[in-house]
Amino acid sequence: MEELNSHGTRQMKVRLTGFGGLSTFIRPPLHRLKSTPCALSSSVLFSSSSPPASQSHQVPLFLRVPKYATPVSDLQKWYSWASDLAASVGSTFLVSDNGPDSSLLCRELRWLLEDALQEDIDPSLIHQVGVNSAQREVNLKTGIEDLYKLWIQRIEERRPFQYIVGCEHWRDLVLCVQEGVLIPRPETEIIIDLVADVISSNRGLKEGFWADLGTGSGAIAIGTARALGGCGNVIATDLSPVAVKVASFNVQRYGLQGVVEVREGSWFEPLKDVQGKLAGLVSNPPYIPSENIPGLQAEVGRHEPKLALDGGVDGMDHLLHLCQGAASMLRTGGFFALETNGEKQSKLILDYMEKEHRGTFYNAKAVPDFAGVLRFVTAFRV
Amino acid sequence: MLLRRSRSVSSLQTNVVRPLFSSSSEPQTTLPSSSLGSACPVEDSSTTGSSSCSPGILNSPHGSCRKSALQKSLFLASAHDFAKNSCWGSPSTLSSVAWRTHDFGGLRLLGTQAAVEASTSDGLTVDRILSNQWPILDENESDWKSHATAISQSINLIKRRLQWKKLLVRLQLLSAQLEKPDIWDDPAHAGRISREQGSLMSKMKQVVAFERELLEHIDMIKLAREENDSDLELDSLNALLRMRRISKEKELEALLAGEQDSCSCYIEVQAGAGGTESMDWAAMVMQMYRLWAQGRGYGITVVDEMLGDVAGIKRATIKVDGEYAFGYAKSEVGVHRLVRISPFDSNKRRHTSFAAVAVIPITGDGSTHVQINESDLRIDRFRAGGAGGQHVNTTESAVRIVHIPTGITVTCQNERSQHQNKASAMAVLQSRLDQLEKARQTQMNMEHTQSLTDNSWGNQIRSYVMHPYRMVKDLRTNFEVSNPDSVLNGDIDGFIMSYLSASVDKDGDSQ
Repeated sequence: MEELNSHGTRQMKVRLTGFGGLSTFIRPPLHRLKSTPCALSSSVLFSSSSPPASQSHQVPLFLRVPKYATPVSDLQKWYSWASDLAASVGSTFLVSDNGPDSSLLCRELRWLLEDALQEDIDPSLIHQVGVNSAQREVNLKTGIEDLYKLWIQRIEERRPFQYIVGCEHWRDLVLCVQEGVLIPRPETEIIIDLVADVISSNRGLKEGFWADLGTGSGAIAIGTARALGGCGNVIATDLSPVAVKVASFNVQRYGLQGVVEVREGSWFEPLKDVQGKLAGLVSNPPYIPSENIPGLQAEVGRHEPKLALDGGVDGMDHLLHLCQGAASMLRTGGFFALETNGEKQSKLILDYMEKEHRGTFYNAKAVPDFAGVLRFVTAFRV
Repeated sequence: MLLRRSRSVSSLQTNVVRPLFSSSSEPQTTLPSSSLGSACPVEDSSTTGSSSCSPGILNSPHGSCRKSALQKSLFLASAHDFAKNSCWGSPSTLSSVAWRTHDFGGLRLLGTQAAVEASTSDGLTVDRILSNQWPILDENESDWKSHATAISQSINLIKRRLQWKKLLVRLQLLSAQLEKPDIWDDPAHAGRISREQGSLMSKMKQVVAFERELLEHIDMIKLAREENDSDLELDSLNALLRMRRISKEKELEALLAGEQDSCSCYIEVQAGAGGTESMDWAAMVMQMYRLWAQGRGYGITVVDEMLGDVAGIKRATIKVDGEYAFGYAKSEVGVHRLVRISPFDSNKRRHTSFAAVAVIPITGDGSTHVQINESDLRIDRFRAGGAGGQHVNTTESAVRIVHIPTGITVTCQNERSQHQNKASAMAVLQSRLDQLEKARQTQMNMEHTQSLTDNSWGNQIRSYVMHPYRMVKDLRTNFEVSNPDSVLNGDIDGFIMSYLSASVDKDGDSQ
């Protein structure tokens, strides 16, 4: 026990010295760690935030059992420490690589608290003063020490918030995510709107197979399956075994096992059985030009899988491959939608379809996201 | 007597009426009109009693009613009386459909009936009770005159707050409109008229029923004395005591008789000019409402929140869910002023800051539901920067929706997905457009007296002074409290009630 204690504490100190100026904020929790022997079980210190075992997916915070009874006063201390830490960031991340600023981090902190608290507890208790509420205990889904560690990871290591809590809210879904799986982006939500628009005006497309290539967390596949509303099937593929596991878990959570099938493999390889039969093909493939990878925002560059980001020299490798595949995979009248890096790539794809696949597609166009960037290319197979 | 009570309850137009005196959201039971002729009074009374958990006429003393021969005879007498001389007794008035289709003569009578004062068997009316100027003793004194006087005072106050005469005139006007054969050619218009008519009708009936109940209990006491039935006398006296207690709640609830008062609402707070100090003030104001709403048991959801750079908020919107949230919170609309030594001023100077508060009802009943045209909207990703897409990991998915025809702009950034932010922003936009439409209708409809300019954005309504003295004062009512801390901790009901009574009672007096 004693060893664990000093080890755990030392580990944190080492990290902290690496991040100048934070040590003043860290002091109270360290003190607390030392002085609270009951909090030092190995499960608390090393379980929940350790890297996932390769065999299974990581259970996101909000789905865990609220079994860590914690005095509200301790939680309040943690929260005020974490708020100060977030405030100390100011706009330094924003300036350096367009990362989160204090206000964004503070909001994330509230969400972290929301996810960590047992469901029936109102998170506003964090602001309630008075002896009665402070002496009260609430159940957390992870130990308070883990919360300290998680928040240090968020600020110091720039570990993405979604990996910290193990989930991403996307459309009306809550998808589990973990290291090794791309965190679905808000922009990508629009692909589901595009799918919904298309099937509402072309009901025939509701039937039959849809494919989401490079599914990652399964976001587009699950969103599409729900848009299909009980008709049709979605096949989701991914090269990464972690992604396959996470996507399968998410599919299960939404009770779509009978509708979405997750297959491991590269792009069209696992789809030989449905060649020429696809009613729709949707994908958010890696499209960042290789040269941009080193300069990415820390949350992305340091933590998210390169496999899901790097699109080759001009970022077009996979997009063109998908375009090409779409020509042979889609049935007549089949729809496809791809996410791209923006206007330049979208235009290149439209040109490519015009030149290399003349007469293969119709109604090809670039569609903007909510920021006005021409983010998507959609077309139909002739 | 029992029959009469159950009728007044059962004849509400339940699909559209929010019971004025009920804090329960349970739907009321509508009894078929045919059950009235043969209905067993005890059964009726239990049905109505269980249809609402609120105090008031619904939980009348008759749950514990003794079925003495005396009472039975009294019941029969009054039921007979009732059927003979009033439209209340006409079964067809009990169905809203019947109202619309043929029994309009009865309906007009109903209005007149309410105007005619109810009285006891020996001619005692509410006004006469009051003119007797019996002393009002403590509740614990078993004196029926004292109870009756207190209840009568409440009834008068409630009538004033409901703008009783105006209400009856309006009710007749609406009923007349509903009689027109072509009214349903414009179903939306007819729906509005019918809803308003139903709502006014139920308010009117509840007051009338309350008044009748009072007089019946007085009759009962007199009768009990004649018959030397001390049990019955005690029962009736207790019934009066219960009414007396309930009447205080009814007085308050009568303040919230507006069509939208029972709705949930959004509360928006925006910091005035003045940087960090006023952003901190805006946050304090918002916190005051959160604590107030919490204390009332309302649900609170943060819809939008723009934090200040150093402290506080630039603006924020919360959704307050619960009955009468709008009715109460609407009193807070306007500019709130703070005077204090700013903690953000190193020279410890006194600062004056402002925060503006807007309150928007969430009607949701479709009464003023503006159809939003997708093509009138411009939706953008708010605060999106850089290349976006895979380049960026952010939990920021704020959406800004601009309604081009009106220029109304709504942002929502507190949901965890863009989709939810959009949905949430759309809900706020819907409510704002509904409010705008409502305001337009109100302006067109001169029958409505509440003027929007009283409440408009930009009017300073309250001053919170921390230094050199400590006081919170409402500039509209002059209501003041010398402890700003308790007010900022959400204790604002005093301000709300005094404003509501001042505005409602003033209107009532001017009739």
